[in-house]
Amino acid sequence: MRTIRMLAVVDPELCTGCTICDRVCPTLAIVTDRKAHLAAVEADRCSGCPACEQRCPEGAIHMVVREKPFDIGVQVLPGDRERVDALCRAARFHPEQLVCYCTGTRADEAAAAILQGAHTPEEISLRTGIRTGCTVECLQPMLRLLDAAGVRAEPPKGGWQWYGRTVTAWDIPESVKRRYAERGFYFDEDIEILERVVNAPSQEK
Amino acid sequence: MRPPIPPIPPRKSQYGIDPSLVRRRVAELPGITSLLAKDLFPELPDVLMPGPGGVPAVRRAAEAALAGVDMARIQPGHTVNVLASHHGFTLLGGEPYAEMLKAIKDVIQARTGCKNIRLRAGVGLRFRETEEYIRRHGLDRHFGDGKAIGIAPIDQAIPIETEIGTLYGIKKAYDADWIVHAHNSDVREVHFHRQVDRAVKPFGMSYARIETRSTYHQNLGPRAANFIARAIFDSPFVQGKFAFACFLAMSPNGIVGVDADRDLYALNDRITRSGCSLYGRMMTLFGEIDECIVALDFPCPVVYVFSAGVIYANFAGANTDLYDLELPLPAYTWYTEAFYGKAGRPLLPEIPSLNPAIKMCVHNYAWTGYPSAFFSEHIPTVIVGREQAELFDRDAQNSTYTRHARILDTTEEAMAYACRVTGTAKILIFDGAFGGINLSEPLAELLVKRAPEVSRRVDEELLPKWLRQRGIPVAA
Repeated sequence: MRTIRMLAVVDPELCTGCTICDRVCPTLAIVTDRKAHLAAVEADRCSGCPACEQRCPEGAIHMVVREKPFDIGVQVLPGDRERVDALCRAARFHPEQLVCYCTGTRADEAAAAILQGAHTPEEISLRTGIRTGCTVECLQPMLRLLDAAGVRAEPPKGGWQWYGRTVTAWDIPESVKRRYAERGFYFDEDIEILERVVNAPSQEK
Repeated sequence: MRPPIPPIPPRKSQYGIDPSLVRRRVAELPGITSLLAKDLFPELPDVLMPGPGGVPAVRRAAEAALAGVDMARIQPGHTVNVLASHHGFTLLGGEPYAEMLKAIKDVIQARTGCKNIRLRAGVGLRFRETEEYIRRHGLDRHFGDGKAIGIAPIDQAIPIETEIGTLYGIKKAYDADWIVHAHNSDVREVHFHRQVDRAVKPFGMSYARIETRSTYHQNLGPRAANFIARAIFDSPFVQGKFAFACFLAMSPNGIVGVDADRDLYALNDRITRSGCSLYGRMMTLFGEIDECIVALDFPCPVVYVFSAGVIYANFAGANTDLYDLELPLPAYTWYTEAFYGKAGRPLLPEIPSLNPAIKMCVHNYAWTGYPSAFFSEHIPTVIVGREQAELFDRDAQNSTYTRHARILDTTEEAMAYACRVTGTAKILIFDGAFGGINLSEPLAELLVKRAPEVSRRVDEELLPKWLRQRGIPVAA
């Protein structure tokens, strides 16, 4: 569960309609009216991350404290626990593994969101809050979970929100592992640790 | 006992409280003394800074190092991007690193006739941070109008084909004919890079997009992560642009010099050796501390405040040997944090706890902009000042940081509370003091007593193992 305290607000006097804010918003909460050269924030979709404010070249966006903070989060539905855990493990995550260090989102919550119909990283972010802190480190877990669920997500057209899935420990070619084994890269040993985590018992009662 | 070393002053930034609100530094309190790093370890190298030569000495060192670099491929009509990272600006106030960047620009221009030289300064998780440094150090004026900019991992991407598949860089980092990698050898995040390819890391981090950085921190594992950086650097795309590297050469006691090379891996081997030997020595000594109160008092995020080259995040793992690659998970790294379950305990029994020597943390002054709740959740933490607590409450990366902390009004009150509750008089201050450590007298006595044996152990036992694990010849 994440409490959304902040809201992005556009200063129309300073906004030039450059569209950078709507290209970086992880929940697609900003739309730029290209004719009016003005960005607008949809308050209900804004999760309070400062991505837009931090990249606006004109300083036209400010983060303000919401008058009415609200909570977001996804619960595992009754009877869904087995499917959720299976999806996490298929993506090689422990269900209780943290997948977003800023918001404290765990793999099972992101997986539950997918099973409840969130089929893009942006929709998972909107429902769980994942990727609305630093907006940097938790993209790949979402893409891995979507892949494991058989969902083929496409990046937002024209956006910079994300571009694609990347390699995991299990994909590193053997030739690469052999070539760099003497230089301090412990590929197989790390896989062993990651797999032990995936299969560790749950702590949740 | 020596008087305290003046701490790095508070800095005006959108990521920290206003400097006027930092009413007292911990080093100003009674009973605080200092140790010079070189008094603890006489074998540490002599440094340019702190020293009487000051920033001009760094400038001369940069020019001398660059004199040995072949720049013949850069033509007058070409474009050059000097790639920098935020971390350099946290070293000794940032001016030495800024001066090195200016020297790189000036030398390239003088040697090659190239005039279109830009600065692209990457960041961690505070996307405006290098913009602040660019203005503060006059880099915008030095590079010319619009040529010095900050770049962030959510900026437009450029795909880079590597031997492990497509990874993504920041397009503006690579929008030139040539790139110059301008960095430093301060070890900083040993918990992440484990002193493996430290020199290469920005290619997977501050010059990289979120796809790549997420791969580093979520997809590969704690000891394979930094291979991402090597994969990008070795790609034909980057190799086709790479001109040379220029690094501030660092030691826990200051700036040793400037190292420049067209062969980044040769430079990397040199800093692997110095990182293990010099910083490994200091970290091993900090691992000897049996109990203490930690005071954070530095203009950067909680994890990055530092004392004699050791950051708080690494002291939080000083109960383990961060340099030993046989240890898969340090007490703190993001993989470790990820592997704490819902009951607040590690999912695997062998994951070490955070350094039990840290009895309490007094957060006198540190910035937002890095997820730090793990620390306040697992280490008793006192935050000084309501304004600072409120700043953290508004930070999207730290929405639960203060939930686990106590908030007190003054530095004096917080330190007195910490001493009373923990019962220890040992205090270690992370305030970036140049050349040494500010600390309490009982802790100073302990470190002075333990340093000679640590030195012997590092030289005879640990360093040979650390170098062997990284493929570096043990004999220099």
